[in-house]
Amino acid sequence: MTVISDRAAIAGIGASRFGRHLPESQLALGAAAFRAALEDAGLDRSEVDGLAVNLGWPLGLDYDRIAEAFGLDVRYVNQTWTHGRFVTMALQQAALAVGAGLAEVVACVAVASFTRERDLLGGPGDFEGMREEGGTHAENPPYGLTAPAAGAALAYRRYMSLYGATTDALGEVAVTLRSHALRNPNAVMRKPMTRDDHRASREVVAPLRLFDCCIVSDGAVVVLVTSAERARDLRKPPVFISGMQGIRAGRDEFIFAPPGLGINQQRPGRVTPRPEDGDALRMAGIERGDVDGLYTYDAFTPLVLFVLERFGFCAPGEAHAWVRGGRIALGGALPVNTSGGLMSEAHVSGWNSIAEIVRQLRGEAGERQIAGARYLQWATVWGDSIVFRR
Amino acid sequence: MDVTAKPKPRVTPDNRPFWEGCREHVLKLPWCAECGRAFLPPAPVCPRCFGERIEWRAASGRGTVTTFVVVHQPWFPAFADDLPYNAAQVELEEGPRLTTSLVGIADEDIVVGLEVEAEFDDLDGETTLPRFRPRGPGGPRGSSGHAG
Ligand SMILES: [Zn+2]
Repeated sequence: MTVISDRAAIAGIGASRFGRHLPESQLALGAAAFRAALEDAGLDRSEVDGLAVNLGWPLGLDYDRIAEAFGLDVRYVNQTWTHGRFVTMALQQAALAVGAGLAEVVACVAVASFTRERDLLGGPGDFEGMREEGGTHAENPPYGLTAPAAGAALAYRRYMSLYGATTDALGEVAVTLRSHALRNPNAVMRKPMTRDDHRASREVVAPLRLFDCCIVSDGAVVVLVTSAERARDLRKPPVFISGMQGIRAGRDEFIFAPPGLGINQQRPGRVTPRPEDGDALRMAGIERGDVDGLYTYDAFTPLVLFVLERFGFCAPGEAHAWVRGGRIALGGALPVNTSGGLMSEAHVSGWNSIAEIVRQLRGEAGERQIAGARYLQWATVWGDSIVFRR
Repeated sequence: MDVTAKPKPRVTPDNRPFWEGCREHVLKLPWCAECGRAFLPPAPVCPRCFGERIEWRAASGRGTVTTFVVVHQPWFPAFADDLPYNAAQVELEEGPRLTTSLVGIADEDIVVGLEVEAEFDDLDGETTLPRFRPRGPGGPRGSSGHAG
């Protein structure tokens, strides 16, 4: 099981500028991030022989156009379609491809121009829920459930009724992530947020308010994955991929709820963490207490609470109280999404948080640096995870 | 896809009996003839035992609200006049959960655990949506929470 542990590493990261209604094309954003990542790693464009893409059709670039436009000649590709749940998969496949010799350097390319594609995000152009088996987030268009936010709202309403949680716990998450963005000059959201601001924001799909939903923004991130040996010879210290576990699926899974909550056909009462929720930690050879910071796909504030429970940082039903008092803030016991995440930095589908993990483990995070960060965990409410170490 | 109209259910070979039942105002569920339990969403095989003998039977129509939301955002222009409107998941007596909406109750009165029963909303000659209404000794209360 440990064959892949520490065999692959991130050797370079790059980002475009982040913003809303940016005039640049997707290719222009992607090229800026790609150039920055090559420079960061000290690699030449000709050395990239693999691509991993999780923001392809219908919202982003497909791999073939990226390769064509950037003048690449790749021998390995992994592509999903646009979904945050495929971020981990793209990065894991890149590590596996490098470990298996399918490629030397895989560029994970994430490009979003979400503000130009607004109608596709739950709007009238969002036909995902009309597929033969519908959408993933409990979309049900005949009843007016057409956007992923509704899935997170369904899950949090049930959580509230089971555990006595309130929407103020969501405010704690939103305010904390905004406070992180205030220490990040590249973040889109740079205005301070108070709990009252959260309470006063308009309802989108109750119990969720506007400030429970991530920003819709434009930007690109490129992450270069190569073998550990190769990475050691490059410009920056390697960030090793120490442990991983794959996405979970089955009748006990609903994308926006921990197992056991009872959404869709989930059996109620099977609570996390289960032994298999600790696979990535075991592969990395560490305990949960060794994790210096947690990074997650925070499209909606409840997802942060759910991932804390799913991965056992607190018990089921406790996260809404556990996050209070600065526990997930910089300087707290478990800083979460220290660059501001999708909520306040930018929605690059989570790749902005992968880049932040790398900066943190290199000690490049400036005034938001987690002192002495050695192990950082990426983990999502749908159960996949990667443990990184320096 | 016509974006000016409310989306209709996507009728598939697997869920057709469900929607045909709704047109007859009967809530029907797929049952596995091998292990004898109902399941949702409709599928050609039983998710428990992978059995292929699927029978459609009338359900009681009774259930319990397990979660709900109230939509305020006009994602689809066709729903703009309905705002705010609710949507809910109901756990049927037979076990499976269904996504639906609630009628005969104000949105602010909906609670998880509310006992409900199915009724049928004929949208036009072709499409009927099941919705759920509070049941119990007190009977329905409140005003309609749904314009459609
Ligand atoms: Zn069966």
